[in-house]
Amino acid sequence: MDTKETEILGEIKSKFKVDGRIRRKQRMWISTDKNKLMEVCNWLKDRGFIHLSAISVTDWLDEGMYELTYHLWSYDDNILVTVKTKIDRDNPAINSVEPIWAENAQIHERELHELFGVKFKDNSDLSPLFLEDQEDMHPFRKDFDWREHVREKYYNKENERETVYYD
Amino acid sequence: MINEMEPAPKGTDYDLYFGPAHPGSGNFGVKLKIDGEIVVSARADPGYLHRGFEKLMEYRTPIQNAVLSDRLCVLEPLNWNLVHAEAVDELMDIDVPERAKYIRVIMAELSRIQSHIIWYGVFSMGTGFDTGFKMAFGFRDYILDLFELITGGRVYPAGYICPGGVRRDFPNGARDKILKVLDKMNEMIILEELENPTLDARAKGVGVLKVKDAIRLGATGPVLRGSGMKTDVRKDEPYEIYDKLDFEVPVRKDGDAYARYWIGIEEMKQSIKIVKQALKELPKGEVIDSAWKKPKLTVKMPEDEVYVRNEVARGEAAVYMVSAGGSEPYRCKIRGPDFLHMIPVLEYLLKGVQIADVPAIYWSLNICPADMDR
Amino acid sequence: MKLGILPKLFKNLFSKPMTVRFPHESIPIPEGYRGEHAYDMEKCISCGLCAKICPNRAIEMIEAPEDIKDRYPKTYPKIDLGKCCFCGLCKDICPKDSIELTKKFFLSTFDHNNVIKYPTPKVEEPING
Repeated sequence: MDTKETEILGEIKSKFKVDGRIRRKQRMWISTDKNKLMEVCNWLKDRGFIHLSAISVTDWLDEGMYELTYHLWSYDDNILVTVKTKIDRDNPAINSVEPIWAENAQIHERELHELFGVKFKDNSDLSPLFLEDQEDMHPFRKDFDWREHVREKYYNKENERETVYYD
Repeated sequence: MINEMEPAPKGTDYDLYFGPAHPGSGNFGVKLKIDGEIVVSARADPGYLHRGFEKLMEYRTPIQNAVLSDRLCVLEPLNWNLVHAEAVDELMDIDVPERAKYIRVIMAELSRIQSHIIWYGVFSMGTGFDTGFKMAFGFRDYILDLFELITGGRVYPAGYICPGGVRRDFPNGARDKILKVLDKMNEMIILEELENPTLDARAKGVGVLKVKDAIRLGATGPVLRGSGMKTDVRKDEPYEIYDKLDFEVPVRKDGDAYARYWIGIEEMKQSIKIVKQALKELPKGEVIDSAWKKPKLTVKMPEDEVYVRNEVARGEAAVYMVSAGGSEPYRCKIRGPDFLHMIPVLEYLLKGVQIADVPAIYWSLNICPADMDR
Repeated sequence: MKLGILPKLFKNLFSKPMTVRFPHESIPIPEGYRGEHAYDMEKCISCGLCAKICPNRAIEMIEAPEDIKDRYPKTYPKIDLGKCCFCGLCKDICPKDSIELTKKFFLSTFDHNNVIKYPTPKVEEPING
């Protein structure tokens, strides 16, 4: 039986009101509300989940929400926990987890700010990372038409090899 | 991002670009603020190799993504093929045959040996020992000839490890050739272990990283093991057939550049041991699931999400894949080990050192700009 | 006195170098190498699967030129070697095995007209009259 996973899930459910499920051994998925995110993360870090593996954003265009996922790993128990929250898509803003996981979280949030447009409060440095001279454009959103953008800026009609994309 | 250099100096402060047009730095630049001989602060400048992989993968089916996934890092393509194939296998519940799992592990470990040889070569070049560079790239060619025989290409295997198994079986005579190549690798390790006073003086006590700082900054793989923490994804959550094999995980407590360099050599010995065990126990049978033998134009992926972790030569790699019921993934996030090693860890280690120590620290972290930018 | 590297140094004086003098001598290329495409127009049935599976859109189906249009009425693949990544998916999916990958790899050129490969039929034997 999965003793460690069910034990941790039981503790979390009794302290905070969250949904959780165990998918297979060593994997746990928890969904919570965005106002309770900082308390859940602080509790998880004290419980032993000291390694932040990744932070990611999924763009659900139909619902109009962004879904943030935080993947945490514990070296003592060898379990991976994923914490998911949802925020609004037109004005995305949320508290940063930099006070908990220091530079590791800061660099992940800087990349997500540039590519998706999410504003993280209390992040010490949100300057652009990969793209230069291209402000006000968040390329990884689902409603950004990259074909039109390339056609306006870089398309060359005389080159036979490029016309195959726009027939 | 860096916009301009400071104006002409008065006194002993100036800026130095250890930048992308330098023969010893790869596709990546660091801007150093220097006072006399000491580096005061460093700022990383990524983005020269950004291709937008996460968006490209949203428009292609899984078999086309397998061909694309070996360009994530040019120095270890077969390991990244394996991460992507495992993510699709777990998402769609595919049964991979036993012979395919053994072949996948053999190819991944050969690719790890080849990547550590490059690490030895460029570390020697950075500290001034040019003969080591030429020796390393000469011995690496034996493994590339083996890849050409089995997969059809020297550097890029074009999706050899695909969802469902592997694309081709071993040809006749491949097994004896692999054993001969492993003997040559043992010769190379004997040469690497010879004493070299220049390397000792330049690398010992330089770039020290303690365990608490390493975990806080997000380091994984050989960088974390060089600081004293015994952890490896192949032992913590075994994938493929690693739980049936017998190997050790080398650890050192000093945390300087010399400790990281020695871990690279010890890991090569363990990889040779793994390949010999796997070749002895290789079973017979099919190499690919029957539904994935011929490439298909559309597949039906169930609505689910999955997170898979692997140990590539540079650290911990992970793929987070979400599918919404179509034949392309809805979101595919890739986590590379070098994203953390090159920006927070490098900026922390370069504070307060002399200029002459910068190449030794830079190359001891085993960086690859391709999987930082993706 | 430590010997260190001296025994290896003496052994190196009497052994062959590791390098091979290319192109005067070369290592043989194994079977299964993925080089340039060889295409057989007789076997093609114009299904268009190779154009749909290519990950980089390097294959486009065009009609045959005017002088041989009566013998070959359907559409045939035109391959752009600059976009091709030589993965071999077009060879795996073809139902009649009409595309194959040969061992030719000397493909770099200064003339950008050589980059696109048009479909041409095989040259027939001349009849001695």
